[in-house]
Amino acid sequence: MYYIHSIASISHQDSFNVSNVCSKLEKLGQESEVIAPNYKEYVPPASLRRLSPVLRMGLTASIECQNNTEKEFDAISVGTALGCLRDTEKFLVTFHTATSDFLSPTAFIQSTHNTIGGQISLGLKNHAYNMTHTQNNVSFEVALMDALMCIDEGKKQVLVGSADEQIPFLELMQPNLIPDNYPLTSGASFFVISPEASSASVCVQAVAVRFNPTDKTGEIEQFLANQQLTLNDIELALYADQLPVETNEKTETLNFLEYSGLHYSASAFAMHIAHDSLKHSDKRYALIINDMCSDKLGITLLSKQ
Amino acid sequence: MNIHITGYGLITSIGLNTEENVASLRSLRTGIAKGRLDNTKAYNVGEIHLTNAELKEQFKLQTDGSRTALLGMAAAKQAFEGHVLSDQIRTGLISGTSVGGMDVSEIEYKNYLNESNHNPDNYKHHSSGTSSEQIAQELGISDFVNTISTACSSAANAIMMGARMIKSGTLDRVVVGGTDSLTSFTISGFKSLMIFDDQWCRPFDDTRKGLNLGEGAGFIVLESDKSLEKTGKKPLARLTGWSNASDAFHQTASSPDGHGARLSMNEALRISELQPGDIDYINAHGTATPNNDLSESQAFQGIFGTAIPPFSSTKAYTGHTLAASGGIEAVFAILAIRNGYLYPNLNFKTPIAETGLTPQLDFEEGKNIQHVLSNSFGFGGNNSTIIISAV
Repeated sequence: MYYIHSIASISHQDSFNVSNVCSKLEKLGQESEVIAPNYKEYVPPASLRRLSPVLRMGLTASIECQNNTEKEFDAISVGTALGCLRDTEKFLVTFHTATSDFLSPTAFIQSTHNTIGGQISLGLKNHAYNMTHTQNNVSFEVALMDALMCIDEGKKQVLVGSADEQIPFLELMQPNLIPDNYPLTSGASFFVISPEASSASVCVQAVAVRFNPTDKTGEIEQFLANQQLTLNDIELALYADQLPVETNEKTETLNFLEYSGLHYSASAFAMHIAHDSLKHSDKRYALIINDMCSDKLGITLLSKQ
Repeated sequence: MNIHITGYGLITSIGLNTEENVASLRSLRTGIAKGRLDNTKAYNVGEIHLTNAELKEQFKLQTDGSRTALLGMAAAKQAFEGHVLSDQIRTGLISGTSVGGMDVSEIEYKNYLNESNHNPDNYKHHSSGTSSEQIAQELGISDFVNTISTACSSAANAIMMGARMIKSGTLDRVVVGGTDSLTSFTISGFKSLMIFDDQWCRPFDDTRKGLNLGEGAGFIVLESDKSLEKTGKKPLARLTGWSNASDAFHQTASSPDGHGARLSMNEALRISELQPGDIDYINAHGTATPNNDLSESQAFQGIFGTAIPPFSSTKAYTGHTLAASGGIEAVFAILAIRNGYLYPNLNFKTPIAETGLTPQLDFEEGKNIQHVLSNSFGFGGNNSTIIISAV
């Protein structure tokens, strides 16, 4: 079993250090902003100044997870769909407009996708396995698959999460490359997964990704059948914009994009919602269906033991 | 369970296929020279002298994509040649890249800054994940696609991820490796870090000044025992060890004693159930930066003591191909095992004062090479090692 022990989300919701994120959720308007914790409590000011929003969010969420975990993480798996966009754009401007041979390297150094994971290892002085996955809308799901594999291989405290940041330039991509029916947002959600239950009650039971699925309903039903379940067992279904399956009237459904806003690793925040909902209710099974990009389907099943 | 290697393919500045690469390796012919393009002409680079259109034509590519994706398709197609897709064999593709479609995006962003002809549609190739999806599409693979982006260790990590997914039973067969094209973004980036050598790079030499960038792609095909029964493919080598560890020292520099590198090599040896003395050749990360080569040398001494096996960096041939390097060098490792090759470390004259190590200096063949250890280290202190063994 893969127990979820600790969660830290920094999002456009009041989600950091709250006992039940569901009690605070509000549908996002167009002008919402990240509700940031006091980063200075987590990162020394000298380091903080250099860090872009996605790095601040990812690092702080990870430190919070470590603060709530006794042992050091023995594996770290990070998903990010578009990586460190602010520093990427900054360095594009730097070298396209350079008038001398001397360029500041900071933005370049911090532009690679694994700066998030690298900063986490540096911040926590952690020498363990450290992986960065990027696969558009299923970036979090593949990072989670890696984390569960780490547990199967014998790891005991795995940090898994995702982080993505919004930059104004992304708005130019709407609506052709990025849909414009939800506000573009930033977000980081990190989880500590362990094979041991101790005080935890909610598990990641299974996760899968499907590429170019021709029959999404069939894929989801098959995924559940592999767990000896049917759609009738699902009491909470979280989805991205359109629910691709028919559920019965007992199933609570929630379009997580209304709360996370749009970034391609937002299904991590959906997993936070699903966890808290199971933990604070009688519900046993929650399913996260992520087809934010219609040609890639992520399916994650949480269960309460 | 064995992780069998049943295919390999590569494209580098020293050759568009295996035969050309081997011919260059054998005749000590480097791919590093003054660049021929506007954005490369001021530098010594390992450039592949085919335009994107020529790449598509030469390798009969059906799928559109950035140069990174096209190079990846060229190498992955060679690796997957002779393989047949089947419902009975769950097949995936895991690719490492650091720049993704930046070669397209950086040109478009310049148009944006110049307020002329800006066409946002061209950013559709930008995402690193998309470049892997395009390579998978070219091969017809759709059971699983994943992209690893850990800078210069990306391909090694993709190979490792593939091995673990086969071991866990999630996949039967997986095409793994990495690809990166030369971009103004990375050229300017490494220039800003001031770690270019304006001459031909000199890995492990005391006078080394820095690296030369290159471009390319390298992929290998991994199969489970069960998959092998169905495909009937002949194993060419085995992947026996893999590991990733964090140096946790600095965002770009390696720790002086190579702590992360030692952790990574040790763990890969443990997984392969080999002793340091079993390793017959090391393909070093060996970027020729002052920092990396000293740190890696110290790590070699930490792991192998005074009995360091023949080692060399092949980056004086190909240039540092960043996220692709672990894939390209995995192919070199397979060729070393299959043909008993040892590759020379070009441009070496003087051992590093602190460590006094001399790498392999000549091209040799017909050696008995059972196990090759290959290192790839990336920004963020991301250290990876894979071990490839004879069948």
